Amino acid sequence: MAIAHQFAYLKPPTLREAVGILARYGKRARALAGGTDLVSLMCDGVLTPDVVVDIKGIPGLDRIEFKSGVLSIGALVTFSDLRDSPIIARKFPVIREMTGWVASVGIRNRATLVGNLCSAVPCCDGGAVLLVYHAAVLVAGPAGKREVPLRDWFLGPRKTVLKRGEIATGVTVTLPKKKHGACFVKLRRYQGEDLAQASVTALALAGNRYRISFGSVAPRPIAADRIEALLEGHPLSEDIIQQAVRLVPEEIAPITDIRATKEYRLQMVGVMLERGLRAAVARLAGAGPDYGTSLI
Amino acid sequence: MTKLKFVGESPNRIDGLDKITGAAMYVDDLTFGPDLLHAEIVESPYAHAIIKSIDTSAAEKVPGVVRVVTGKDFPYRFGLYMQDRFIFPTDRVRFVGEQVAAVVARDPKTAKRAAKLVKVVYEELKPVLDLAEALRDDAVLVHPDLGKYPRCAWFFPQAGTNIAHYRKTRKGDVEQGFKQADVILEDTYTVPRYAHCAIEPHVIVGLYDLAGRLTLWSASQSPYTQRHVFAQALAPLGLSHKDIRVVTPYVGGGFGGKAGVSMEIIGAALAIMVKGHPVKVRWSRAQEFYNTYQRQGVIARIKLGVTNDGTITAIEHTLHWDAGGYVEYGANVVNAVGLSATGPYRVPNVKIDSVCVYTNLPPGGPYRGFGYSEFHFGLESHITRVAQKIGMDPVEFRRRNAICEGDTLAYGARMNPSGLHEAINRVAAEIRWGQKESSKDPHKVIGKGFACFWKAPAMPPNAASSAFIKFNEDGSLNISASGMEIGQGYLTVMAQIAAEILTVPVHRIRVEPPDTDRNAYEWQTVGSHVTWGCGNAVKAAAIEVREKMFDVVERALGLAHDTLYVEDEKVKCRVRPDFALPFKDFVISGIQTAQGNFIGGPILGSGVFMPEFTSALSDPETSQGGHPNVHYTVGAAAAILEVDKQTGRMRVLKAVLAVDAGKAIHPGLVKGQVVGGVLQGLATVLYEDIRYDLKGKLLNANFTDYKIPTALDVPVEIVPIIVEVAQPDGPFGARGIGEQTMIPAAAMIANAVDDAVGLRMKGLPITAEKVALELHGIRYDDVKGSYMGLCFAGQPDKYDFRTTTAKKK
Amino acid sequence: MDKQITFKLNGETRTIKVEPSDLLIDVLREKLGVKSPKIGCERGDCGACTVLIDDKSVRSCLILAIESDGSEITTVEGLSRTRLSPVQQSFLEHGSFQCGFCAPGMVLSATELLEKNPHPTEAEVKEALAGNLCRCTGYKPIIEAILALSSKGGKSL
Repeated sequence: MAIAHQFAYLKPPTLREAVGILARYGKRARALAGGTDLVSLMCDGVLTPDVVVDIKGIPGLDRIEFKSGVLSIGALVTFSDLRDSPIIARKFPVIREMTGWVASVGIRNRATLVGNLCSAVPCCDGGAVLLVYHAAVLVAGPAGKREVPLRDWFLGPRKTVLKRGEIATGVTVTLPKKKHGACFVKLRRYQGEDLAQASVTALALAGNRYRISFGSVAPRPIAADRIEALLEGHPLSEDIIQQAVRLVPEEIAPITDIRATKEYRLQMVGVMLERGLRAAVARLAGAGPDYGTSLI
Repeated sequence: MTKLKFVGESPNRIDGLDKITGAAMYVDDLTFGPDLLHAEIVESPYAHAIIKSIDTSAAEKVPGVVRVVTGKDFPYRFGLYMQDRFIFPTDRVRFVGEQVAAVVARDPKTAKRAAKLVKVVYEELKPVLDLAEALRDDAVLVHPDLGKYPRCAWFFPQAGTNIAHYRKTRKGDVEQGFKQADVILEDTYTVPRYAHCAIEPHVIVGLYDLAGRLTLWSASQSPYTQRHVFAQALAPLGLSHKDIRVVTPYVGGGFGGKAGVSMEIIGAALAIMVKGHPVKVRWSRAQEFYNTYQRQGVIARIKLGVTNDGTITAIEHTLHWDAGGYVEYGANVVNAVGLSATGPYRVPNVKIDSVCVYTNLPPGGPYRGFGYSEFHFGLESHITRVAQKIGMDPVEFRRRNAICEGDTLAYGARMNPSGLHEAINRVAAEIRWGQKESSKDPHKVIGKGFACFWKAPAMPPNAASSAFIKFNEDGSLNISASGMEIGQGYLTVMAQIAAEILTVPVHRIRVEPPDTDRNAYEWQTVGSHVTWGCGNAVKAAAIEVREKMFDVVERALGLAHDTLYVEDEKVKCRVRPDFALPFKDFVISGIQTAQGNFIGGPILGSGVFMPEFTSALSDPETSQGGHPNVHYTVGAAAAILEVDKQTGRMRVLKAVLAVDAGKAIHPGLVKGQVVGGVLQGLATVLYEDIRYDLKGKLLNANFTDYKIPTALDVPVEIVPIIVEVAQPDGPFGARGIGEQTMIPAAAMIANAVDDAVGLRMKGLPITAEKVALELHGIRYDDVKGSYMGLCFAGQPDKYDFRTTTAKKK
Repeated sequence: MDKQITFKLNGETRTIKVEPSDLLIDVLREKLGVKSPKIGCERGDCGACTVLIDDKSVRSCLILAIESDGSEITTVEGLSRTRLSPVQQSFLEHGSFQCGFCAPGMVLSATELLEKNPHPTEAEVKEALAGNLCRCTGYKPIIEAILALSSKGGKSL
């Protein structure tokens, strides 16, 4: 299905120019990176921007850097780049684990992590995983640069805090100071590529501290504050796991949609939380299933 | 019997190079120059509505728009077995997405923009979206004019109702049969609709040239039948078969969806309206889902009686089919099942009622298996349950009742030779039937499920095949027939058959894709019958070619015809060991005699195969008296299934399927059909899940939410087994197997789930979600939300199988 | 408004005019006559439109033609004009296709995989192919064809 509407295409060579175009046109302009989301929506006629701003000409946005314990992922870094990065594999293996279940190779070669965050779909895998790292989104706009903690980034389905003229230029992830093990569990309708029916990310830090996030069971990816508080300081036991599972209905607000019923999501998140926590703790100890092994 | 040299081997496919280099051209790849026009369809948003008015004026004014076409340009009906369909409806629409008008423009973007400007005013009617509602005495009628539609003689519509066709089969006396039974089991099974999802969407290009000749380039399984349906539909315009040509290049998958005529007639009609310009109509993936044939949904009630020693005494099988807004092809699915819904078993007393019901959903039609996958789900689940009820092993039960050669079929004719027992035994051995397996993972259990299957081609009694064969100067051959290469390997198999007769190796044989002007006639490439039917025609043509070569040699050189034979592409003589005449020396130019003149000339042959023993004439109340099905292909299958009790996730550890091919002309291709068919079958049970909203709109018309298998979804192990009990009237004993390989999947998985976790699922699909919820005491139907999978809103076991006619009795 | 773009297509430099709204798949097929990438779903779900851009497999139905200015595009037509590539040869020998519609995309995805990873495991092969839908073969002969090359460790191009 061709794109029926006509639009102007601009490829600014600098960030400043990109911001200028986006500020001038506001909602009538859209930033284009990988295009796997935007082009599809334009083909369907859901989005009809007057101006498409290709940011692939802006230098410096395609880097993965790890300096002083902070990982910076530029806006043009694709899921394949993440998958192939030795730094990510070594220091943030759960991010790499997540990329293996996002779409397929041909999509990953174009789709960007930052684009995934900007799409702000409730099933956004990138957002769910980065939440446990307390990530922050780097934004450039007419008023200058700012950092938005990922917790505050999503306003709802397909809505972020980006203001007129602003563009996300990257995301930063701070490596926890203590050793950690983590696990990303993605519920799909089968083994093939699928949008998440639900996802659980569990991160276990040395010293019995935990970070948990849920995807696709609320209007946006959410951090499981109550469950984290419950687990804090406790080694993982059968009892504490079951207490955590019992808190799941208080943390998430799943709906019944075309992909799953809310009953199934509720039931499965409990199972995924249990399996994810066990795997995260085992990996912290240097054991457990290899990253990339499906637990469900 | 001489050893076969080409038949039974697995050479590289003769279309291999085309497909692997990108040389293979499909319809959308063909170029028609800068004059090619493009069409965009205006579709109905309603499932059932009267068309009050269509205003095309705004669309017509858009620069680049050539023509806007509506039903008033073509007020004629068409259809394969019954003419209940319209090119563009003139009075009312009958499913969401039905074509109401088409905009033809110079480029696709203009057509798309202009289509939005066509204004259609509808008066909504109450849609028929529930089988029980459809069969009420006071039901809204989808086709008030049903009684007026021309139809084939063996269909029985009931005017004034939504019953488009009703096939009744009665053999023996089921009441007596149930009295003889020690145990009777009765239950209801449901199967929703499914989509073919061939990767190539439907596409057609039509050109009605200035001389009045209509040519269609069509992605079709059935070029000659398409020509016939076009000729019938366009006869009011003065066109007949001579004026129409259908060309079918490579087709990117059919699975039945590209049989008959669905959207292609739009291409023919638009071509007529823009005479002199070629026009292309290409379906989007969404249209593929909602405006081509779908596999019908069905609610089935099975009552089976058995004696304690495991002998079936009677079967009563009632099937109500959600057949959609038009049933011109789909009614034959209902018919086929009505004749065969005993399954491959010896049953003395049979009552089958197969009812084709109009609904305001997309038209049902041919889909790999043609109704057999749908009824086998219930039947093979039921067979296992009945066996368990009398304490007998389900495989042993099947052995006991397996139909054998000569047994009487449900409609009175006799069963053909077949290796069902061998298939059952080999599958049981391969799956280690009887040995319980367990998983090391404490959350997982392993179950095994078994199913038998059969299917016959469902064709009119005069579905014929024909073929021409000609030689070229270098001794190579061209075979011209009109079977369709849809991936199954038809081209290679025809070449092997000719190779075996004429000893020309397969790689020196071309098999030409169909062109109704140039190729010999073939009814359709459906029903898993072309290896048999077209293969017989090709074999006959090859024999004629051989005989003609011998005639020429005899006339030119005086060697007696009956002393001649062919070997290594030469004519040789039993009484003259030194005589070896290479084909290439004479098959075009003839043989020069001692006097210097030439005898012979171009050698070519033709063959025709018509199943002259079949007949669809039978008693409409009992189906006795005819011989509607040429033969059955049988088989057995089993699966080892691992189920995670916490998550409901299922993994097929092993799938085994044995099918009786009669003679596997190309064993590699037969195994390819098993591997592909098993996976397609598994998908229908495990994750393909069609959903409509409550107003009849398809919600998941895309691959994002209608999941078909990827490379990650293949079973850990698939074992194809070829059984060969010859089909006496097949080429080298062959019969077809392409559809059969997907038929047992749903039942064998349902049986495996029951074996693993003790859950008997009586409705498809059996998703991980349903299993997980059921295992935790939640019935999926209670929580699924407001969508429609099956065309019945209530609980299946509350469905009343009476129809209005039954009430009238 | 038209823009002129230049890229390498199967080794040959091409310069054409495109509208911003032109999709790469349509430009390849309709303007440049390269027919092996196919239209299957128009949403990037089926992989039939796969081409290699700068040696990476991408879905050309989700790329604006204008974005490929300055890049190198490879389709099956360009894999080898004189002989079959090892991937193509292995597919032919293993019967790794039936209707053939998904074959060009499969060949390119397999080519990319073996270039990056000459000895993939079965799991890695399946992951590489997961975005190319095949309705006919059940994937078994495709996976076998690639694993056969994996054990040989040969080059794919």
